[in-house]
Amino acid sequence: MTNTKADIKAVSKTARGNILAKLKAEVSGADYDKLPEEVPFNYPEFSREENLAQFISELEKNHAQVIKTTKANMASVISEQLKALNITKLLYGENDEHSEVIAALDSKIDLQTYDFSIDNNKERLFNECPAALSSSRCSIAATGSIVLWPDENEPRSLSLVPPVHFVIVDANELYADFTSLIKAQQWQDKLPTNVVLVSGPSKTADIQQTLAYGAHGPKALIVLLINI
Amino acid sequence: MKHIIEEESKYAASAKAFRANVARDLGNEELRSNFRGAMDYLMDKRKSAFSSEDELEVLREQCKLIKQRCLAKLPHLLEQLEGNLERNGIKVHWAETITEANEIIAQLIADKKGSSVVKGKSMVSEETALNDYLEERNVECLESDMGEYIVQLAKEHPSHIIMPAIHQNKKQVAKLFADNIEGFEYSTDVDTLIQQGREVLRNKFCQADVGISGVNFAVAETGTLCLVENEGNGRMCTTIPDLHIAITGIEKVVEHLSDVPPLLSLLTRSATGQAISTYFNMISSARKPGEKDGPQEVHLVLLDNGRSQAFADEELKQTLQCIRCGACMNHCPVYTRIGGHAYGTVYPGPIGKMVSPHMLGLEATTNLPTASTLCGACGEVCPVKIPIPKILLRLRQESVKPKSQQPEVMKGQGAGRSSVEALIWKVWAQVHKSPTMYALSMWGLTRFRFLMPKKLGGWTSVRTAPKPAATTLHQRVKAKQEKAKQSQQERG
Ligand code: SF4
Repeated sequence: MTNTKADIKAVSKTARGNILAKLKAEVSGADYDKLPEEVPFNYPEFSREENLAQFISELEKNHAQVIKTTKANMASVISEQLKALNITKLLYGENDEHSEVIAALDSKIDLQTYDFSIDNNKERLFNECPAALSSSRCSIAATGSIVLWPDENEPRSLSLVPPVHFVIVDANELYADFTSLIKAQQWQDKLPTNVVLVSGPSKTADIQQTLAYGAHGPKALIVLLINI
Repeated sequence: MKHIIEEESKYAASAKAFRANVARDLGNEELRSNFRGAMDYLMDKRKSAFSSEDELEVLREQCKLIKQRCLAKLPHLLEQLEGNLERNGIKVHWAETITEANEIIAQLIADKKGSSVVKGKSMVSEETALNDYLEERNVECLESDMGEYIVQLAKEHPSHIIMPAIHQNKKQVAKLFADNIEGFEYSTDVDTLIQQGREVLRNKFCQADVGISGVNFAVAETGTLCLVENEGNGRMCTTIPDLHIAITGIEKVVEHLSDVPPLLSLLTRSATGQAISTYFNMISSARKPGEKDGPQEVHLVLLDNGRSQAFADEELKQTLQCIRCGACMNHCPVYTRIGGHAYGTVYPGPIGKMVSPHMLGLEATTNLPTASTLCGACGEVCPVKIPIPKILLRLRQESVKPKSQQPEVMKGQGAGRSSVEALIWKVWAQVHKSPTMYALSMWGLTRFRFLMPKKLGGWTSVRTAPKPAATTLHQRVKAKQEKAKQSQQERG
């Protein structure tokens, strides 16, 4: 029953022509200079402290654990947390930025580097990696969101598959809201393969409006907040 | 055209049965209490998400204008989107009908020799009944959103666009799991239920070779597909399998990346009262050389399915502003009482009543626009200010206007027209145009009111028949005025 490849190309080509022709017939002659002005809401300016407080409170409302720490202390914080969770393994990306932290972790922790392609390693990723550590690019105060910017060293699934996600967040990279962040960093010029805004551990309220955490992604999001 | 005529959506039949569906579901007390509870919860959530009326109003106006601008430029933005996506290595396909969309997706899967599909939440794929289509071709298609998973296990359809399993309570879900998942011990603890679902579905994510998702916003300027979700299943479907196919309606395209933040903010707050969803996922490319994960191939299917028909009419075009937040159904007194399945369509509630006639034709959906009290709640909460009650009135008109009247605005125009009703209104209009005729008819009505029948079909099944009064309003006002005049004269 399924059509041949050539067929779907043809189907799509015809559909494209028809759809665009119909739409274009309706907008022909439209004057786009005369569109009404779109006025945004003027949000008040907040101080760094206020933004930080807002960021932390939003994250905590969404069941993320926020730990204020320093770069020097981070290794011991992670080690303690893992111990408390009874986890002995940690997956991390090959990122020079926190190589010192990795080196200083409790020696009992079995360190796993994400230096493999996912293609033949899905079972391992899903079943043998209970926790992961990743960095973040920046964050957003208004909604308590952390911006993940995955790359070759820190793949997309690093922050998704392991049930516990440690993420390093630099308080100096905090923006008031999403709009100002996009503008300041001119995102429209350079979006990578994938960007994710994370605002808590995975959750669902699909059964009788009752919140449950750890639906598919990480059950715990542990935010290591530095440079406060 | 051939697909439209030959292969009607399976939802046409269930939409036609609207009245019977309503009678069935109004009598189901458990269902009604499930909906009541859920709607109260969602209305509360939304209310607490907007602390300032000012902010809400400014944002609504801004987002309405954003969507109107994007629609005004729609064909150009679609071309720009296509160009940028293809430049990023994402293939774009176009489909006029649901069958075309399904054919394309089935073929993409077959090309990759895919056999196991995981799906993130996508209402557009519900619209095309993709699961049925793939299953007929021996491709297993598993829903991975918790709500959708429950609905699929129960062999049902979503009853709400944001919370698909809202019609079920935890006891019903517990029973469903116990009956369908091997080794699951009956429990009504929601955490236990979710962990059970998680276990089953994580296995599937690990094994599936294809991931299918919807799209909340497609950004033309950057060629980016944005997905809003809380569970992480959307990220799983778009990250783990080798092939990712996204499907969306042509109206989801926005011009600039900077259009996204205000729309996103209104979407999550209107839908569930969240400042933002747990994940906001922005996909701009397939896996690049050197990257260790992500799908090797990403495809986008752009579906029309009646949208261009709405686009061609200035008033009905506003339907396409919709960002699918679900607020209109959460606040709808009709939806709350009859539930989501009674509509018989993929999209229930006010948005469903507006959009389904374009997808299924007015023949199958004549009853839907009439299933509204026109109380206006939907229009008041709609984040993009769609005048929903006005559009419903317009659809009522389209469904009773003469079939031959040109231009034909909609498929199925005049499907609800009855010659008796048309005649009654014609006479009514004549009578009201002429003072003599009007006076005569009033004279008759007040004299012969005893002739009014006791039974008036559907109207009197739950009401008593109306009876004309013995005197007309004009007569009574006149009498009153005369009485006043008299007493004034007496006093004077
Ligand atoms: S019509 Fe408005 S309120 Fe209803 S789902 Fe669409 S955007 Fe939301």
